Amino acid sequence: MADPVLIIGAGVAGMTAAVELADSGVDVILVDRLSTIGGNALDLYKAFPTDDCFYCFEGNRDRPGIRKCFYRSAMIDQPNISLYVNSEVGEITPKNGLFQVKLDVGPVYVNPKKCTLCGLCLTHSKAFTFTSPQCQPQSVKYDPSKSDEGDKKAESECPTRAINLDAQPTEETITVSDIVLATGYHEMKPVNMDEYGYGKIPNVITQLELAQILDPNGPSRGKLVRPSDGASVESVLMVQCVGSRDENHYPFCSKICCVFAIKHANIIALERTSAKVSVVYMDIRTYDRHEKYYRDARDAGVEFVRGRVTRIESGDDGKLDIIVYDSLLDKYLKFNVDLFVLSSALEPPPGIHTLSKSLGLSLSSGYFTPADRASGNEVVIGKHIYACGGALGPAEVPESVTQARAVASKILQSRK
Amino acid sequence: MPSYNLYMGCSVPANYPNYEASMIRVAEVLGMELVYMEDVACCGSPNLRAMDYFGWLVVNARTLAIGEKNGYDIVTPCNGCFGSLKDVLHHLKHDPEDLALVNKELAKMDLELKGSIKVRHFVEALYTDVGIEEIKKKITKPLDGVGIAIHYGCHLLRPADVTEFTPSILDELVEVTGATVIEYPLWKQCCGATVLPINEPLAIRLARDKLKSMTEYGAVFATVVCPACGNQLDLQQLGLRDSYNEDYNLPILLYPQILALAMGMSEEEVGLELNRVSADSILDHLSE
Amino acid sequence: MAETKNKAGVPETLIEPIEMSSLDASFRNEIHSMPNGEELSACFACSTCTAACPIANQWKYKPHQLIRMIILGMRDEVLSSSEIWECLTCFQCQERCPQNVRVTDIFFDCKNLASERGDIPSSIVSLAKELLEKGQLYQVTADWEREDLELEPEVPGLSIEEVKSILKNTRTGKIAGDE
Repeated sequence: MADPVLIIGAGVAGMTAAVELADSGVDVILVDRLSTIGGNALDLYKAFPTDDCFYCFEGNRDRPGIRKCFYRSAMIDQPNISLYVNSEVGEITPKNGLFQVKLDVGPVYVNPKKCTLCGLCLTHSKAFTFTSPQCQPQSVKYDPSKSDEGDKKAESECPTRAINLDAQPTEETITVSDIVLATGYHEMKPVNMDEYGYGKIPNVITQLELAQILDPNGPSRGKLVRPSDGASVESVLMVQCVGSRDENHYPFCSKICCVFAIKHANIIALERTSAKVSVVYMDIRTYDRHEKYYRDARDAGVEFVRGRVTRIESGDDGKLDIIVYDSLLDKYLKFNVDLFVLSSALEPPPGIHTLSKSLGLSLSSGYFTPADRASGNEVVIGKHIYACGGALGPAEVPESVTQARAVASKILQSRK
Repeated sequence: MPSYNLYMGCSVPANYPNYEASMIRVAEVLGMELVYMEDVACCGSPNLRAMDYFGWLVVNARTLAIGEKNGYDIVTPCNGCFGSLKDVLHHLKHDPEDLALVNKELAKMDLELKGSIKVRHFVEALYTDVGIEEIKKKITKPLDGVGIAIHYGCHLLRPADVTEFTPSILDELVEVTGATVIEYPLWKQCCGATVLPINEPLAIRLARDKLKSMTEYGAVFATVVCPACGNQLDLQQLGLRDSYNEDYNLPILLYPQILALAMGMSEEEVGLELNRVSADSILDHLSE
Repeated sequence: MAETKNKAGVPETLIEPIEMSSLDASFRNEIHSMPNGEELSACFACSTCTAACPIANQWKYKPHQLIRMIILGMRDEVLSSSEIWECLTCFQCQERCPQNVRVTDIFFDCKNLASERGDIPSSIVSLAKELLEKGQLYQVTADWEREDLELEPEVPGLSIEEVKSILKNTRTGKIAGDE
């Protein structure tokens, strides 16, 4: 039997590649650092271009017998996928045309194959949590730092014996034929940009933080509120290109933040109709069909101001005075808003340097780069090394899915 | 023979009887029956639209309703009238609420606008109803290929979805007389007529730029189909001698004048002496 | 909307921003509801209108800025501007707008709003009076020219009384009467 494929990162791209390969009979080892998989998409309540809930994406519908989301069951039930959450990839050694990879596997306190989400453990101990009804794998989480007297009881009374409080971290060495890098991107925390006051002034947040506020499953149940005091929001100012297209931070365009921001602006303008939204931008880059979002936003009354932020001042009432230079009018405008949302750069994840070094790969703008740019095979990074989705740079969901499928196709061809 | 509601407006009869006379004569020879509309008013031009939109709608809807009652298309030799009538008709066809309001006013005059009427510029009717081939048959003294620049005029061309005018009609109508059409970069540019009451130096500057562009590209004559454009390009030329110390000496002919001359009519019949910049030299370009 | 009070006081600077809360948000909606104003909000300030305008170089506020000012609610600045009255109505801006904003038509709407509140150039007031008194903008002054060309001496078919009576009761009457 052929050796398995290692996929690093279980976001949209990694999960797609895993399912596509597994369905074609290839054994897959899917590793994610976090205890809940799904990557950035997990935080999105709606994703462009269809504005569907991320979990209801198109490809899901052609797997009969599976409710709505094809990822949901496949991650646990597809026999060819071995999912490692809470786990990190260590040393990678090439050997006889294969890769020997060390995995630091986190303790498995709750076995997701057994957990039925009955919720009994949650009644016994605060150490058990249930992230969201959409979390993957579908199981409760155990945090040993919050251990209390109830957790033993939860363990013993668990009707499916899914809990093992004595679980220990382990180290495994696996041998794989191919490596798929699906490491994604992170949203930069713009703490070093004084002009925006992030981390210092209340109610200055990033777009992903706004996504959580807008999420009907989030802490405010989707109500648009100020993080500082929970007061409802009447006006929002967004600013684009925070750390992107900036030689002092990230020289590249983060590509999806314009659509991302406008999607949020539309949700606010059309579904939270009492709030006024303004967007400060240098260029609006709603490439391709996403131009429709931009037009819809203007029709919905979202105000666009070409220019930059001059200064921000916070007041006692939790509101923010923000002065913006409008370069089209050549005037300064003063906004008084509840929420200031930064469309922050999408940066490579912190571990990418170690990973690229151990694979002998070079990075471009911090992301993985195609082995041969001229070949048109953008997902081929090296010999038996592939990348898809955010590992290659900021990407939207459909693009990540397409690239993941390209990876699966390349691997299947190489095994013929 | 097709009959038409001839809507003159106020400017052509007052300022360009030579335009009116040559149009009437050309139409007669070509078998177009132009019937002066009775009891119709001045269109108010863009100025009325600017200060009193509703008044502008009612005044022009009234003209349209009278024309509709007569049962023929309206033709007009003036771009200002053409623009006003076309725009009002277009608006009322797309805005039933305003149409109802306007018809309430028209009812007081025993009129009603249904919206079936068509409005056309005289040159459009000439081109589509008579046709280049028929016109060609009547040309007895064709021009010798002399270069003529065409100024269509803004309200004939734009907004295109309202005026529905094909911007090549005049090219063909000029060519059939034997002249050569001179293309020049500022052919779409405004003559400046509408800004005359607000900012005269600006209006003169626009006319001047236009004339300069025409002559630089080799125009010996220019032609217009609007009294306001004619005023700007013809009369204002005289003033340019003082204000810009520039003398373009570019005769401006109303299009039916050129056609009439090529059809063998006399300079008196087309009122050539009324052209402000002497256009007599056009006679030298007619073949015997 | 109340202005934010800062504990330490607002710093003094040379920047004097326009208070967004002081602007008139209803202006945008008003223009939006006027003839051919529907596409106003589609403007993305590409400035094609200004590129197309033959005279904007002379203007303090360019066409794309006027549209922005309407969207932001700068009612007084727009309605008292000389630019809207200098507009040639040549429709080049409107014809080239990639978002189908009917720029020239919107400036006509602005002129109507300006006229309603009395912001109207004296030369246009004179035209209003002319229309109201004479029922037409141009009168035949040289009827012999017409007769030489075998035309009727007067403007054929012209009716002036009906126009006077229509315009007396619309805004034209108000404008001419206010003087």
